[in-house]
Amino acid sequence: MTAAFSARVDKALADPTLKLAIDRTTGTARAKRAAAVAAWPQFDAARDLGRDIKDHVIANLGFYLAEFERNAIASGAKVHWARTAEEACAIVVGICRDAGAKSVTRAKSMLGEEIGLPHALDEEGIERVETDLAEHIVQLAGDRPSHIVWPALHKTREQVGELFRRLHADPGALDSVEAMVGSARRQLRQKFMRADVGISGANFLIADTGAVCTVTNEGNAELTTTPPRVHIVTAGIEKLVPSLAHAMSLLRLLVRSATGAELTQYTTFHCSPRRPGDADGPEAFHIVLVDNGRTRMLAEGLSDMLRCLRCGACLNHCVVYRQIGGHAYGGVYPGPMGSVLTPVLEGLAQSQDLPRACTLNGQCQEVCPVKIPLPTLLRGWRDRAWREGLEPTVSRAGIGVWRIFVLRPRLYRLTTRLALPTMRLFARRGWITSMPLAGGWTRHRDFPAPARRSFMDQIERTRR
Amino acid sequence: MNARDAILAAVGSGSRPAAEIAREAAALIERVPGLRPDRVNGDPAEAFLARVTGPAIGATATRVAALADVPGAVRAYLDAHDLPAGVALQPHPKLGELDWSGVETHRAIAVDEAAAVLFAPYAVAETGSLVFRSGPNMPVLFAFLPLHCLVVVESASVVPWLEDCAAIEAKRPAPRNLNLITGASGTTDIEGALVRGAHGPANLHVIFVEPSNPKP
Repeated sequence: MTAAFSARVDKALADPTLKLAIDRTTGTARAKRAAAVAAWPQFDAARDLGRDIKDHVIANLGFYLAEFERNAIASGAKVHWARTAEEACAIVVGICRDAGAKSVTRAKSMLGEEIGLPHALDEEGIERVETDLAEHIVQLAGDRPSHIVWPALHKTREQVGELFRRLHADPGALDSVEAMVGSARRQLRQKFMRADVGISGANFLIADTGAVCTVTNEGNAELTTTPPRVHIVTAGIEKLVPSLAHAMSLLRLLVRSATGAELTQYTTFHCSPRRPGDADGPEAFHIVLVDNGRTRMLAEGLSDMLRCLRCGACLNHCVVYRQIGGHAYGGVYPGPMGSVLTPVLEGLAQSQDLPRACTLNGQCQEVCPVKIPLPTLLRGWRDRAWREGLEPTVSRAGIGVWRIFVLRPRLYRLTTRLALPTMRLFARRGWITSMPLAGGWTRHRDFPAPARRSFMDQIERTRR
Repeated sequence: MNARDAILAAVGSGSRPAAEIAREAAALIERVPGLRPDRVNGDPAEAFLARVTGPAIGATATRVAALADVPGAVRAYLDAHDLPAGVALQPHPKLGELDWSGVETHRAIAVDEAAAVLFAPYAVAETGSLVFRSGPNMPVLFAFLPLHCLVVVESASVVPWLEDCAAIEAKRPAPRNLNLITGASGTTDIEGALVRGAHGPANLHVIFVEPSNPKP
């Protein structure tokens, strides 16, 4: 483990409130998802369909990109293409500059985070208003998102109340979560109406109409995309679906997997700028199609990951995420899906700890609505790190030593036979609270005392 | 090479005939009916009402026998919630032609509008969603700015499934916004606790028009 990752994990594990905050939100999310899935007996077959729809699009991506572009342009949208995060930000900032924008509202978009759009807008000196409640909290705190669906999941209500008391114009009593939401509503109300540009992401791009789908429960996306003069969408090229009907099948899977609801409160398909006679809507509509590593994923055997709907279920069910939270991962995307994506975005040498921060218990794959084989993809990164000689010297040497033993079963059994009574010397009432060489484990939790005899010995005794 | 050409070259623009790709895409949709969650038993209109007023969505609803009864239902709602007798009225002809005496109506919607009355062209039973298509009759912000959102929908317009919505929309040009609205605005962003009225309406009230309802 690199020192930087280890330090972030230590900080997370030592945080007195983080675990509680994570448990509250992910616990609710798991329970609600489980209830939604239980009410849908064909869920597993529907996941196959979701997988097949996305695979079909990815296998014909060039066709669907061209079709989407043609239909979007015909409807009156302007379509832009960006190979990299830098190109994408330059396009968005350029549109804002041309529009003379002083203020920009943003509806939460993971792609926006991925390409560093908040930073690019700040650099340009444009007022940036995050409108998703959680992103608003994160922006006020000068913090980073820690979950792809609940970005402020690491904050307790007390911390949010303190933040709003300090930074809201009219915070009121703030004695309940309701009062906090009310304060944010008052704070953002006028900003929605005064913004020059609204920026959103896209959950789906509809190829046969050129429309862009956003989903929210707050209604902040439509309040972001309707009043300003300009609406800009930034979307990854993998977000395409052939038609509205295909989007419906994926929406069923996405929303249940994310929050356990049957559909988000506000599911909107945006197409073209304001029409003649329309009472509201933007005068200009720009769509920025972003690659940023996606074509490389296609070429390097990671096309399964391009199915990802960004529902967050793999985070909520991950035993590692639930201990360390999102910030410890260091990238924009945390949890299992993040550990697959971050090496693409930042390079394996910088992020090789992430694919190893995984027990390979397979929970993520079990809950994935489009059946992404996340453990297989994570193992793929581990293999590659080993082949490229990126494995740190200590663990490389450790695996070398272990290899000597596993290839010699007698020696292995002899060693475990000696190790068991030694470990039991440190046990008190069935638990080891500290032991030489085990500090990395026992600093944060106890280790169960081993059985008196090894598994192999027990088997042999029963055979006799 | 510009970014567009580079990306299209990298994904391989492909030489498969469009008809073959379209056949594959259509075959995927044919699998849907057997895989949908069983959410529409019997009359779609009743399934819609049950869903929209159920605990997951939590809207309120009133049944009326005719469009002419809508202003009365609006007045009753305003009275019951101690709201001023003024509403923003979506400029839809089905609403405009009604007799609104006793309710002050205005066409422009304010940023802090207390209540607005909207007509939804149709609804989806499966999810309890109201569908809006933006246009001169249907400004988008009417569904997002008011604190109380009162939506008129006719029982005959309820379709069973999301795919029916897709089929309806496939037959006409896409509007600037196709909005599927499924309940009032809500957030679970602070400790996962559900709070209504995050940015959009805190209350959704459905006025369900059922002409000469033959059902018991």
